[in-house]
Amino acid sequence: MQEDLTNTFRQARVGEKIEYTGSMLVMRDIAQKRLVEIDKSGMMLPLDLKDQVIFYAGPTFVKGHMVIGPTTSKRMDRFLEFIISKGVIATIGKGKRTQEAELLCAKHKVPYLVTPSGCAAYLASCVTRWEIVAFEELGPEAIYRIEVVNFPLLVAVDAFGRSVF
Amino acid sequence: MKTIDSKIVYERVCNALLDVNTSIDPRVEKLFENYDGPFAREIKENMNIARTSKMPLCQDTGIVEFFVWKGYNVHLTSPLKDTLEQSVREVYTGSGFRKGIVSDPLFERKNTLDNTPVIVHIFEIDKPIIDIWMIAKGGGSENLSTIFMLQPSESYENVLKIIVSHIENNAANACPPIIVGVGIGGTSDKAILLSKLALFNPSTIELLHRYDEKIGEYSQMANELQKCFSNLKIGVQGLGIGPTVQRTNVLNYPTHIATLPLAISVDCYLSRTLSVVIE
Repeated sequence: MQEDLTNTFRQARVGEKIEYTGSMLVMRDIAQKRLVEIDKSGMMLPLDLKDQVIFYAGPTFVKGHMVIGPTTSKRMDRFLEFIISKGVIATIGKGKRTQEAELLCAKHKVPYLVTPSGCAAYLASCVTRWEIVAFEELGPEAIYRIEVVNFPLLVAVDAFGRSVF
Repeated sequence: MKTIDSKIVYERVCNALLDVNTSIDPRVEKLFENYDGPFAREIKENMNIARTSKMPLCQDTGIVEFFVWKGYNVHLTSPLKDTLEQSVREVYTGSGFRKGIVSDPLFERKNTLDNTPVIVHIFEIDKPIIDIWMIAKGGGSENLSTIFMLQPSESYENVLKIIVSHIENNAANACPPIIVGVGIGGTSDKAILLSKLALFNPSTIELLHRYDEKIGEYSQMANELQKCFSNLKIGVQGLGIGPTVQRTNVLNYPTHIATLPLAISVDCYLSRTLSVVIE
């Protein structure tokens, strides 16, 4: 099952649209900075990144819905090599990444996908479950695990290094 | 002396904040009518869902900035900053909008939990009114703000090039089709302020000349920039299809003989700006 998912992402071609159903880990700047610091200090990470899909985002909660959307991926490029080394299979966000990040995507066959920004009310309807995994005190910057159904994605940098930008 | 009850300011601003985050500007909705590129369906449905169910258009409901034009003889019953902050606190905690402000920016970055403080600029005018301009400013577009302290002898063509190149290199990360605000002249801080004011809609900007006759508008330059931007193939969501920039405004102000400040601000495609006038 997990192998199938990894293969689906690896084989996806640039520009291809994917309706993703499954789980993702939501994190952004400060959570990743903390993970790197924890790792450097030799302690165990508070979560396992192996085979995970990472969504760069910071949600809010309205009327029982998790309202969520992508944040600028370029700010996360400094952590990309780290999360890939921990086994991440794809990243999701918005906007163009640095050339270094695109090269990492190709080298490790970890595609980068985009989901529409400024569409949080729509994306809220695709999120069926969520839980806090780490750093609860960070509020919208905490790490969440979410389950999504038919979540709209477009392959922006594929595992072959081709970029839509 | 004219007295305006701060409760009225509070109520009007609360309504506007709810509106600006949930009801899309009709001009933006129209812009997408003929768009059928990537994510067209999601973008259009989002506008409908947000409007009908009062959900935020974007999870990033921004840092709220206010630009207030206040009659010199208008008396308010409470300090204005307190009223504006109270409005944001009420709307953002009450409607579940994201609490996205941290205090101690460099070290602790601790969430303030109510989306305050707000950013307030108050200007005195010679009219017995209070006109409150507000923008729910997302972080992605704010990160494109920039200032160039150019030399006074800089050529017009180079100024255009600097602006176009900044947009070309960065627009994909600010949720295009963006709005480009340019401020030229004054001092560094004045130029940035002008570039922010330039993000408001044209009918709001028209009022500026009445409030401060020294603020000018370079309409032809804005048109030329808009033409240059139309050649950029960045497109909706940065995916290459549709417009990159939806509108451009250039505001100017007198400056020092040794300076030519040029500031650029950008707003995302949702264009979450609104103003309320209280008489």
